[in-house]
Amino acid sequence: MLVYYNNSTKAMFDSINPKSALPIYRQITDQIRWRVAAGVFAPGDKLPSVRELAAQLLVNPNTVAKVYRDLERDGLLETRRGDGTYISSEAVALAESERTRIIEEQLRSIARDVRAFGLPGQAAMDLFRRILSDESAQRKDRR
Amino acid sequence: MSDTSLAILTENLTRRFGRLRALDGVNAHVPKGAIYGLMGPNGAGKTTFVRVLLNLINPTSGGAVVLGHDVTKEPVEVRRRVGHVAALQPLWDWMTVRDFAEFMRGCYPKWNPEAVSTVLDRIGIDQAATLGVLSRGQRAIVSIAVAVGHEPDLLILDEALTGLDPIARREVLRNVIDAMQAEGRTVLITGQDIADMERICDHVGFLVKGRLVLEATLDDLKSRVKRIRVEHPGESEVQVPVGAFQVERRLRETVFTVENYTPDLLVSLDGPGRRAVATDLSLEDIFIDLAQAHMTADTAGAGGKLLPNGRSA
Repeated sequence: MLVYYNNSTKAMFDSINPKSALPIYRQITDQIRWRVAAGVFAPGDKLPSVRELAAQLLVNPNTVAKVYRDLERDGLLETRRGDGTYISSEAVALAESERTRIIEEQLRSIARDVRAFGLPGQAAMDLFRRILSDESAQRKDRR
Repeated sequence: MSDTSLAILTENLTRRFGRLRALDGVNAHVPKGAIYGLMGPNGAGKTTFVRVLLNLINPTSGGAVVLGHDVTKEPVEVRRRVGHVAALQPLWDWMTVRDFAEFMRGCYPKWNPEAVSTVLDRIGIDQAATLGVLSRGQRAIVSIAVAVGHEPDLLILDEALTGLDPIARREVLRNVIDAMQAEGRTVLITGQDIADMERICDHVGFLVKGRLVLEATLDDLKSRVKRIRVEHPGESEVQVPVGAFQVERRLRETVFTVENYTPDLLVSLDGPGRRAVATDLSLEDIFIDLAQAHMTADTAGAGGKLLPNGRSA
């Protein structure tokens, strides 16, 4: 088995899929948000420069710049003048709300389907509870 | 007809070849600093457009301004500030890479040999090699290297990706991204590989039969053009909103594309026993839908509705 070790954040981006209906901007944003939520990106981690990441992912530098700008506005990233872009010190606190936000987004889409299929709310809740307990049972088994 | 925020502006640009209208009233707007992808099927007029910009041919009517210079009145000024890479550019096979760069250097008042070497060195092209022994991909890179030698404000890549293998294509894309490092430099790239264009372009224009049927930012386009599916098990038919196209009526299901999507649209289509879902489209899907809509609606005068960044059609 071939294992690569690479400790730079530059190596932490997956290639983007230009054929996806999900805009490239969203694909890059989601990658960063997800990693912050999961704790894989920690406060103080330095991100690659806009140019580096654009060249690595083969995307428009303006798109990467916009991702950094918007995530900085949301408090996830911070730019230190003349030094680069870092995961912000608030990211730990934000990770919690990021996790909630990601789950909420997925649940909303499920809620739409529940309504469309006319499934009673109570039945949907029961189903979700059952799935949750199944999942935690499986985790215990594996340990 | 001057707007300093635009690198390229054309007004009613028309070029006829005999009875053929290769360009038919094209109003293009390429902002400075953009990577603008000009796409369209074979014979749509992409290369004619580029040739007019470089004043290699004259327009039949209408005009074009490149970096503030009228292309027919100030062609030398234009060429001094534009780098051009043509598809499968004929290079002199017997010349070495170094001699070729030196030759091109003689054509311009200023030249930055380092800009050329940077491009060549990264993929290890030996400057002592003759052009004839290089692969197609390497030749494309040499063309780009030489095209940035005079540090142009606008780089035009005409079908520069066409016919290249995936590795060479990546290398060309990388160079386009690097070329953007010069502050405010603009890139116009023509071609057909929509997925590659989607990676690097922020603005797109779509030519069909000599007409610019679409011009928009990529973000805007993707958020506005959506495929809508209405499931209506209770009803046999539902009303389709005005302006919808590519309408497909199936059994208890209706699918169509809209070009001015808002979430409100779904709410208005939802109802008892009826559900509307919006699907995002890839750039390729959007173009296929729009091209078909424009090909069929051509005579009905529906052309050019989704137009220039909110400018009126």
